[in-house]
Amino acid sequence: MSSLNDVAGPQQRQFNPYTENGGTILAIAGTDFSVIAGDTRQSEGYNIQTRYAPKVFRLTDRAVLAVNGFAADGNMFVKKVKQRLEWYRHAHAKDMPLHAIARLIQTMLYARRFFPYYVYNILGGIEDDGSGAVYSFDPVGSYERETCRAAGAAQSLVQPFLDNQIYFKNQQPAPGTSFPAHLPLPIVLKLVIDSFTGATERHIEVGDGLEMYVVLAKGRDLSGLEGIVGLQELSTKSDGERIFVIRRELKKD
Amino acid sequence: MSIMEYNGGSVIAMVGKGCVAIGSDLRLGNQALTVATNFEKVFPVTDRIYLGMSGLATDVVTLREQFRFRVNMYTIKEERDIEPEAFAHLVSSTLYERRFGPYFIEPVMAGLWKTQKGEHKPYIAAADLIGCLNFAKDFVVAGTASEKLFGVAEGLWEPDLEPEDLFETISQTLLNGVDRDAFSGWGAIIHVITPDKVITRTLKGRMD
Amino acid sequence: MNTFVNQFSTSSALSVIRKAQALVDDDEEFSDAAWGSEAGFGNLAKGVPSFSVPAVHDPTAFLRLHTDDHADPNCRIKIQHGTTTLAFRFQGGVIVAVDSRATAGSYIASGTVKKVIEINPYLLGTMAGGAADCQYWETYLGIQCRLHELRNRERISVAAASKYLSNLVYSYKGMGLSMGTMICGWDKTGPAVFYVDSDGTRLKGDLFSVGSGSTFAYGVLDQGYRWDLTDEEAQELGRRSIYAAGHRDAFSGNTCNLYHVKEDGWRFLGNYDITKMHYEGPGDVPGSAKTGYGYDVRVEGRVSSAAPAVAS
Repeated sequence: MSSLNDVAGPQQRQFNPYTENGGTILAIAGTDFSVIAGDTRQSEGYNIQTRYAPKVFRLTDRAVLAVNGFAADGNMFVKKVKQRLEWYRHAHAKDMPLHAIARLIQTMLYARRFFPYYVYNILGGIEDDGSGAVYSFDPVGSYERETCRAAGAAQSLVQPFLDNQIYFKNQQPAPGTSFPAHLPLPIVLKLVIDSFTGATERHIEVGDGLEMYVVLAKGRDLSGLEGIVGLQELSTKSDGERIFVIRRELKKD
Repeated sequence: MSIMEYNGGSVIAMVGKGCVAIGSDLRLGNQALTVATNFEKVFPVTDRIYLGMSGLATDVVTLREQFRFRVNMYTIKEERDIEPEAFAHLVSSTLYERRFGPYFIEPVMAGLWKTQKGEHKPYIAAADLIGCLNFAKDFVVAGTASEKLFGVAEGLWEPDLEPEDLFETISQTLLNGVDRDAFSGWGAIIHVITPDKVITRTLKGRMD
Repeated sequence: MNTFVNQFSTSSALSVIRKAQALVDDDEEFSDAAWGSEAGFGNLAKGVPSFSVPAVHDPTAFLRLHTDDHADPNCRIKIQHGTTTLAFRFQGGVIVAVDSRATAGSYIASGTVKKVIEINPYLLGTMAGGAADCQYWETYLGIQCRLHELRNRERISVAAASKYLSNLVYSYKGMGLSMGTMICGWDKTGPAVFYVDSDGTRLKGDLFSVGSGSTFAYGVLDQGYRWDLTDEEAQELGRRSIYAAGHRDAFSGNTCNLYHVKEDGWRFLGNYDITKMHYEGPGDVPGSAKTGYGYDVRVEGRVSSAAPAVAS
């Protein structure tokens, strides 16, 4: 039986269109390449919805977007970015430059300032000058160019490891030497795999599969990619920037 | 804000080959305000056991004295030093005594225990604030930077590290972990416990 | 609050947005400009930026529920908070100094944030509060300042630019924008600093500091401030103040970005690591004492607890 108190107040409901789907994404820029990676588990709470839901997407031959957070918003956002890039191609007969895609993503995210996409974006690729670049965004569009960024459920596990291994934080170079500003591709790939196996070990929302997109600058040879099993090329032409994807298994427990 | 984050601070312990290492940061804060940068959170229990505590600073100090008292009583009664495993259970039961009004600390223990043959074997453990023990074979962490420490440790740690390599590993893990945590850092201290000596070093860390 | 009244108000931010959206054809989310580039500001084509608003009775309450307004650390969408920024006016122009840390809860999300926004060669804006709000609206302000130049054959004054921004954020009052910014520059009247925040406050002044570490910065700044500071002294004061905030405030730190605005526009002076300033000082730069700023560095071997050994 309901008491008088229950009847007195008005019934209230709240509109909650958001959920958190776990997973982690990561991107590292090199001198003439970038690596953009993400795990493929999609979860809600303690349930795994699927073991294969890609979070990393090819936008153009030189741009790759990784999205993390609320999967429905993420997928819709990628769809809309791809649509705008296609319109740009129709209007200008060329692919949008990477820094312009970054600004486009800012304005698209900020257009939803009062009803945000609950998505953390990392954009990786090759800049017009041929350098590898990574742009990271918050859900409402503030962004910054960086060399290395992890986002998502295990960002706090992965990022300090990368600070140490990529930026050589808290390390002293041997006398008379200095640390490289950018690491070679094989080392970057190793660090990405280590980061994800580590995150899989300690975070329940990370695991199942790993997808690493590699974007190579125009004219760069394939050094660092030779002998990699299951390497798949995604680029549309062979004389421009080239995109490859490498897939690996992660623990499924 | 959680009371476990009121003062900030983090602790970590790692296993090596015939040795263990334990360390903490040096910050004592009042929420965002850094009050002191010389607040050690790791204390000697015996010659071969160290105890680290992260959480509410007042409880860290209270429990340090509480454990000193209880370990002294144990030593007098038993006429021998306490072994790490017994100490871990002493910590656990002391915390569980306050099951419904806990001390707001998470302990981390590191020590060496003597086998029948006289060898020294590494031993580390951690517990939650009401004393649920976690015996790990690799490393244990606690405090506001615990997630970050887990991440770095998972990437850097490997089995059977010699004392100097273990020192480097735990130092890098601690420094890089706390550098991504707003409430930990401002210097660090590490103790490496080997069968014949304890190496203690204060680390220069980021001061922001 | 009076949310019910707001639904029918003709002057609230919400109704302004609704009107703006009515301008843009209902079934066409993108204007023709979206096909081109419009400098990335395609959605501003109709003059008023258009924003999606959730179809609920009280969008503001909806946003508050899901975004981090200091109070609730558990909500999903984290907006960056925690900062120290400062700017002051003196005989030689304007000094602008900021830290570079972004935190989400206790996690340090970034240590390389650019909190000084270069609006144009004569105007700087600082960033505190919502990073996206500051970045977006100060870029937008840059566009409007350029249009002002083209229309009036004259550079916009700092007063006018800051008022443009303050009027703009005031029209969104109550919608959840979060920014605390200083608009700094040099115009016909000389050096100028204006404080503008998302409540609609706009203050003209000589010296401001904004953010969680501002109290620490003010401590150093007030103590060392004079109008007749030399350029070098002023630059050192800016660095030293940000260091103090970075050291004591958990939510500020990493590095200090220093700018100096003079008659011919702003100049970026450098990026200084706060830990390096603690142990060694800012390095070989004009005005620096060439020793560490850190308390323990300055008192080493001179405190009673660590007295130098007495020769016996």
